[in-house]
Amino acid sequence: MDSNKKYWKGLEELNNTPEFVEKNKHEFAEPIPIEDVLSGDGLLGKTPRRDFLKAVGFGVGAVTLAACQKVPVHKSIPYLIKPEEITPGVANYYSSTYEGHAILVKTREGRPIKIEGNPNDVLAKGGLSAQAQASVLDLYDVNRVKAPVQGTSELEWSDLDDYVKLELAKLKDSGKKIRIVSSSIHSPSTLAVIADFITEFPAAKHVSYDAVSYTGIIQANQNSFGKAVLPHYNFDKADVIVSFGADFLGSWISPVEFTAQYVKNRNNKSLQSKKMSRHIQFETGMSLAGTNADVRIPLKPSEEGIALINLYNAITGATLPGSKKLSDNATNNAITIAAKELQAAKGKALVVAGSNDVATQVLVNAINAALGSYGTTIDLDNNSNQYNGNDADLVEFIGEAKRGEVGAVLFLNANPVYDYYNTKELTDALSKVPLKVSFADHIDETAAICNVVAPNHHYLESWGDDNAIAGYYTILQPTINPVYNTRQAEESLLIWSNNPVKVYYTYVRNNWDKGILAQGGLSGQKGWETLLQTGFISAAAKNGGSYAFSRDLNAVAQTILTQSTQLAASGDKKLELHLYQTVAMRDGKRANNPWLQELPDPVSKVTWDNFAALSLTDLKKLNLQEGDVITVDVNGSSIALPVLLQPGQAEGTLSVAVGYGRTKGGAVIESGVGKNAFPLHSFRNGTLQTTGVAAISATGDSIVLAQTQTHHSYEGRSVIREASFTEYKKNPYKNSGKDGAHKDYKSLWEDYSDTEYKTTAYNWVMAIDLNACTGCGACVVACNAENNVPVVGRDEVRRRREMHWIRIDRYYSFNEKGESITEEHEIDKLTNLNNVSVVHQPMLCQHCDHAPCETVCPVLATVHSSEGLNHMAYNRCVGTRYCANNCPYKVRRFNWFNYWNDSRFDNYLSNEHTQLVLNPDVTTRFRGVMEKCSMCVQRIQAGKLKAKIEKRPVKDGDIKVACQQTCPANAIVFGNGNDPDSEVSKALRSERTYYVLEELNVQPGIGYQVKVRNTTELEA
Amino acid sequence: MASHKESIIREPLVTGKDITYAKVTDDVLFPVENKPNKAWWIGFTVASLGACLWVFAVSWTFWYGIGSWGLNKTVGWAWDITGFVWWVGIGHAGTLISAVLLLFRQKWRNSINRSAEAMTIFAVICAATYVVSHMGRPWMALYCLPLPNQYGSLWVNFNSPLIWDVFAISTYFSVSLVFWYTGLLPDIATIRDRGTGWYRRIYSVLSFGWTGSVKTWQRFETVSLILAGISTPLVLSVHTIVSMDFATSLEPGWHTTIFPPYFVAGAIFSGFAMVQTLLLVTRKVLGLENYITMFHIESMNKIILVTGSVVGVAYITEFFIAYYSGGEYEQYTFLNRFIGPYWWAACMMYGCNVLMTQVMWFKKVRTNIAMSWVLSIIVNIGMWFERFVIIVTSLHRDYIPSSWAMFYPTWIDVSVFIGSIGVFFTLFLLFIRVLPAIAMAEVKLLLKEQSEHGKRKQIEEGHLDPSQVEFYKENLIKFDSVDVSEYENA
Repeated sequence: MDSNKKYWKGLEELNNTPEFVEKNKHEFAEPIPIEDVLSGDGLLGKTPRRDFLKAVGFGVGAVTLAACQKVPVHKSIPYLIKPEEITPGVANYYSSTYEGHAILVKTREGRPIKIEGNPNDVLAKGGLSAQAQASVLDLYDVNRVKAPVQGTSELEWSDLDDYVKLELAKLKDSGKKIRIVSSSIHSPSTLAVIADFITEFPAAKHVSYDAVSYTGIIQANQNSFGKAVLPHYNFDKADVIVSFGADFLGSWISPVEFTAQYVKNRNNKSLQSKKMSRHIQFETGMSLAGTNADVRIPLKPSEEGIALINLYNAITGATLPGSKKLSDNATNNAITIAAKELQAAKGKALVVAGSNDVATQVLVNAINAALGSYGTTIDLDNNSNQYNGNDADLVEFIGEAKRGEVGAVLFLNANPVYDYYNTKELTDALSKVPLKVSFADHIDETAAICNVVAPNHHYLESWGDDNAIAGYYTILQPTINPVYNTRQAEESLLIWSNNPVKVYYTYVRNNWDKGILAQGGLSGQKGWETLLQTGFISAAAKNGGSYAFSRDLNAVAQTILTQSTQLAASGDKKLELHLYQTVAMRDGKRANNPWLQELPDPVSKVTWDNFAALSLTDLKKLNLQEGDVITVDVNGSSIALPVLLQPGQAEGTLSVAVGYGRTKGGAVIESGVGKNAFPLHSFRNGTLQTTGVAAISATGDSIVLAQTQTHHSYEGRSVIREASFTEYKKNPYKNSGKDGAHKDYKSLWEDYSDTEYKTTAYNWVMAIDLNACTGCGACVVACNAENNVPVVGRDEVRRRREMHWIRIDRYYSFNEKGESITEEHEIDKLTNLNNVSVVHQPMLCQHCDHAPCETVCPVLATVHSSEGLNHMAYNRCVGTRYCANNCPYKVRRFNWFNYWNDSRFDNYLSNEHTQLVLNPDVTTRFRGVMEKCSMCVQRIQAGKLKAKIEKRPVKDGDIKVACQQTCPANAIVFGNGNDPDSEVSKALRSERTYYVLEELNVQPGIGYQVKVRNTTELEA
Repeated sequence: MASHKESIIREPLVTGKDITYAKVTDDVLFPVENKPNKAWWIGFTVASLGACLWVFAVSWTFWYGIGSWGLNKTVGWAWDITGFVWWVGIGHAGTLISAVLLLFRQKWRNSINRSAEAMTIFAVICAATYVVSHMGRPWMALYCLPLPNQYGSLWVNFNSPLIWDVFAISTYFSVSLVFWYTGLLPDIATIRDRGTGWYRRIYSVLSFGWTGSVKTWQRFETVSLILAGISTPLVLSVHTIVSMDFATSLEPGWHTTIFPPYFVAGAIFSGFAMVQTLLLVTRKVLGLENYITMFHIESMNKIILVTGSVVGVAYITEFFIAYYSGGEYEQYTFLNRFIGPYWWAACMMYGCNVLMTQVMWFKKVRTNIAMSWVLSIIVNIGMWFERFVIIVTSLHRDYIPSSWAMFYPTWIDVSVFIGSIGVFFTLFLLFIRVLPAIAMAEVKLLLKEQSEHGKRKQIEEGHLDPSQVEFYKENLIKFDSVDVSEYENA
């Protein structure tokens, strides 16, 4: 090719203009503004397009690189040396004791997170109360005392010991008295420690008293039979139970144990053998036992004694003085019927009374002796140690202190400044005591006025033992290292009394080696290890002897009559007062526990407050509305309380719960929950009595009580189905509709369930026996603990936003002229609400096979599993709430706020410390998502996994859901519906089984069993 | 369009002296091309304050959670879905006027369709804000769209009426928007042609290069007709689907097969009421009495009367079916509307929607501007209460009596609702400032047919029956905007 061809780029090059030549000299056509940049002028100059692109390029690149940095990492520290028994993700269970009940403590990675009843527990067979379930939260309570305190400053234990020892030594010389004031102690080792302390300091004495006292019964037994003990009651051996104000299912002595016993004669098994106990309750306010009674008669405190005299006379044919007709004819009839039935059931009858009056209890003893109850339904030989306090002892101590005789007082698990009726007298007396030591784990009302607080361990951090009833010894073992700088009270006492054994663990072991272990046939190290695994030993019970009553009752009757006259409230705006304990709060010791505060009262469904319960008649008479605040004045002590209309409340009376109105001891308490009703007690006849005459006056204020249920009648709907025992015996299908009274509902849709899990191994279903459920609410707290359910507080409950996954619906119906009245508009016409029947219905997600929630969710956040469960995928939920609207059972709960990260809800979820109680197997939920009962899907998965590892199918009973596990009444049965031999399948085959709202054909997975009342047709 | 001479006994659709094409343009574009008057500023200030309240209340909700509303475990929807359905219902008149009336060749629609369509779009925007803001986790709203994702085959739940809603509302919004904007094109081009500077450039872009050629007009007409055809089923479908949010559920009071037609009738009812509310004010403030005449007002009142009565029949049917079904829960729900704690809400609903609108049987009422306006407000209130009654009164006492509860709104609930009204009016007031509130091009079509001059000439020439002339004059007198003396010499 020709090589003289010239290639040029652009005309400039071709023409070779001078500018081109000039420009071509440099590497870059345009000069680089290095000088400008260096001098700083470049920054002011106009940014050319290229610079802009460069800047953008760099900027984007830099930002991208910067974004590559790791997000902040929360480091979790692995075990350096992994403890042999801990596998992260696998729970360990330790046996321990809660208030005399053998329990199992579930721990995860060293943290106790859940209390379960020990299935072998002699008392309750695995059932636990709401309080026991909630007690694990107290372990992590940030309001606990974190170190020993003297005055207002924290100090070292050694300094504290030096101080206390010095003070005690001084006292030894001065000869002043030392008093250990405690609530009832039933731990043999603790009692031994105290005994040793008293040996060291002979001036010391142990004063035992209880906030809610049983001195009346103990003294009465002393008077009647020479045994100053609380007997062990056997409700399971009683065919006829008559209770005078004893709430033995809710709060009286040992309610969980009694529930288990009581239900034995009323559950499905008992009904199928055509046997059902009869329960007649005479009481002032509506108690949990009252709600379960077959016949419940409202009775004024002033008439209780007369009613007992009438009953005694009717049973024995004696003529005690004071017998007279009561104002209400229904009560007289009921007493006649009760007497007849008790007599017919001689040897299988039981009469109990809640009164703390010695005379009343002596009369009850006489009735029971006449009925041959001793040795059968009442066991005085294998007595209960659960309560052994003596009111007079405390009064005596206050007298000593007032006279300046007491040099030191040690408060062990006692808070008399709060729960003694005369606070002023007590504090005045205590101000004369130079050394006041409290072992409280919170700065409670008593600890606040003590010089020294030597904080005790939580029971889950403690060694110890317990002996609730004679022959039944349980062991406490720590499940976690002490969370705070606390020390077990017993250890403090050992150190202060210069005991050769300074470590309480050793002390307990020695004490058991000395004899208790042998009672269980165990010995040595091996025996001890066995004990730690089984949790208890049960010595052979002595034969309960029968006791004859031989005292003259005339004086007793006279005392009762005098009291009745005193109690009879006469005059305008005076009502007879009755004090009681609620299931949630009991005596108020656990008032700082938000789970318990938010647990609705089984009867009133009120949370976060106490109130004055009045009858409709009195409300009208006093011209009050529900929520109006009244002052209740008893002997000069007065408190202001909102009024609640309580059906079944005896006319002319009001009931107030104790356990509220604490003022010191934690954030929950100090937020102001209720009013303290302990000052309304009166000291009569040597005991603290729960009755009195109250003067009422309206303050003009009004508040809204935070109730989880505000409509109380079931409107005649088939949601609740009841039958009388007579009807049931004639036709076991009565009212269940299972015999064809309700037809099978045809579905429009292809039944996908037939092709799905009906053929798979598992179909998880549940059966709930309305006849077993007493409504105690333990399941609600168990569910809270298991599923990390948020606590929302009083205001949110008022807005009807409580988050409980399981609730207990409580309905009132009224019996007038042999007809059951359930509809609101008919109830409104009633002039009194005395003849009330109550039914409790646990309500939780029904896991419908045709779940209405599932079809409406736009994003498939709630779907059906192949095992019959209705799942919630929290991550997918956008929170339209359509599912909750479409749920006929209204069991879905929406996260209205960010309960775990919102400073307005700092009850437990949002606190870094209390978060340790959370179950790591269950996610906490963000705001804006729906949640509901999952049938403890984490437990199902764990059970399936375990079975898989062991290469076997899941056995019936392997998996227990939290509510079922804690239920003292065994009202809830969960299991595999595809296994015809499973307990749940058997329960669902019961003639009484019905499904709530089955007519909607949503095919719920939970079957309920008809409530049966042992009423004659006339009473029904 | 037809070129024949209109009969004298037809009521004129455009009134006023010496109406020419130029005058129409001048009149309609007056608010667009001039500085706003005082009335507009006052209205705009109030409305934008309302919009700010909405921003504040919704931000509060997003920050703290739905708990700041008054909802509870029993009543999961209240003011939110009430507001949503209310706004969607209001949005119905626009499509009905623009599409259905176009297909039925109801020419009187030409003067009001523009505003009604704008109102539709703004109402649907307000409704859509409720859809998002009522969610617990609005930032996850995209889960409601069938988007491809990494979760395997995780789609939306096509069984859920809420998903149908998503499709229905978004389709409705987009079709309405396209229809509205297509109609605006010739008018925007007019503004462009009259404007100068940046003003002209903006409208030039917005006019999509409208040339006004015969071909353009022909295509315009065709597109309008096609869009009308597409929109017509939407008038029925959207509220049908909204009603299915309730009808397909299990709640007594919701689970009702009559809901689709009942809701559609209610939607048209409330939509026309809102058009009436807006236009009665707009025509006065913007001086458009000659284009939105008594004829329009009366026609709309007639529609309100008819649909209101249809709704009334639906109410009666509901009660009858509740009684006849024998279903105890449904019976209780309907009884509870009257004897329950929300009896006053039911009274508002039945009173405002059925009883009050019956006065429109009287022509005097139908042609009275003040009364028409008051009645339109009453209908708006009544229809809000209808949704409130359906939602809250049904939910608050359903199957299980233990869960029965009351709903108490918080100030946030109220603010979100009032705020959404503020948003609506802000948008509407901005609209009448920047776009012609009356479809000029379409009104000009009317002029040609109507030929006021021709009619007057006929009268002057005495070709007509005197009774017909009398009727014609009477028609003129009732127009509140026209001075009768102008016709005296006729």
